[in-house]
Amino acid sequence: MAWLPWSSGSSDEGGVKKTAGGAFESPSRTNRKMCYAARDSFFECLDKNNILDSINTKSGREKAETFCSQFDKEFEKNCAHSWVEYFKKQRVVNYQKEQTIKRLESQGGEITAPQLPLPGQK
Amino acid sequence: MAAPSRCTAHIATALRSNATPRIAVRTFASTAPSAASRTRLRQAQQTIEARRQFSNTSYRQALNTIDQIKARNKGGPFNITAALLFVTTAGGLWAYFTYEKERMARKRVAEQTKGVGKPKVGGPFELVDQDGKVFSSNDMLGKYSLVYFGFTHCPDICPDELDKMALMYDKVREKCGNVLLPLMITCDPARDSPAVLKEYLAEFHPDFIGLTGNHEQIKDTCKAYRVYFSTPKDVAPGQDYLVDHSIYFYLMDPEGDFVEAIGRNFTADQAAKVIADHVKDWEKPLRKEARWE
Repeated sequence: MAWLPWSSGSSDEGGVKKTAGGAFESPSRTNRKMCYAARDSFFECLDKNNILDSINTKSGREKAETFCSQFDKEFEKNCAHSWVEYFKKQRVVNYQKEQTIKRLESQGGEITAPQLPLPGQK
Repeated sequence: MAAPSRCTAHIATALRSNATPRIAVRTFASTAPSAASRTRLRQAQQTIEARRQFSNTSYRQALNTIDQIKARNKGGPFNITAALLFVTTAGGLWAYFTYEKERMARKRVAEQTKGVGKPKVGGPFELVDQDGKVFSSNDMLGKYSLVYFGFTHCPDICPDELDKMALMYDKVREKCGNVLLPLMITCDPARDSPAVLKEYLAEFHPDFIGLTGNHEQIKDTCKAYRVYFSTPKDVAPGQDYLVDHSIYFYLMDPEGDFVEAIGRNFTADQAAKVIADHVKDWEKPLRKEARWE
């Protein structure tokens, strides 16, 4: 599929085997591990260059392309495209969540996400 | 009262064992120091000694003086034996009531979905397992089952949860034996064929059972379990997409009724404890033993 440049070569460029649509052929433990490693090095690069959002904004995408394009390519190569998008968005969401929690805690409020009660807390 | 009454003599005998006569002498000597009374006193002593020969109750050798008796009874009825008895009883009762309270709480949770007019989680389904064999909800009967909804192309949460499920399963098995059926039902039937599930689940635990079916079957099953999921109905082969779905473990009892949902905040140990406690509460041994091998 021409509109997904990363999906053209399945395994010829190295990385994990993928379908034509850019999904994993088999999301096995080894493949997941490789994907997580590629993600972590890409995020490390973003951290170094002080980039939070590498997907939602144009400026973020450009910055990521300028500073971390090498890692981004590895990331795409080793993960399903949907995973790449998911992790990039998750990075932003996680950061915002952390900030919100920190802000609320600094204001003296306590925050607990709604969860099922643990044994002994019923 | 010049002469010792039998009663006084008797008390004196009871309290003193060795020196009874001497005390008696002094007592009566002070109250009646005449020769006549001394004679009578001697007679009394003889009476005491005579009586002692006929007495068949043993004397309490340890308690010789009034002071010793007083010392013994100074603390009232409290002594080390009583204290130990009290503490043991209190501890035992506390442990018993705590256990019963927890058991009743679990029972309440387990029976919430039993009977008429209760919200129902779970229900009949017919899917195929990872070997392509038919697996219906009837195959769950007789054992507890731990049901997890997921999909193999899940980026991070499902693999973590399935790893946790493997730990939970092993721990419960260790505690209670082979009483738990670990099921993973896919929310992504388009990609998760029996073969895919088989390869995927083998990496987590050899005992895991993966269930799939067509879109309608999966949709109905998810609906019965109140599971939200968002799988596109028509997908091209090889298409890349993610599925949103609820991430709870559902504990079902040997009659196929929902017991409890176990969320992500549970560690494997906590979850295993919850399950093992429910398993131990199960009071219908016949059904259990039929499958308990």
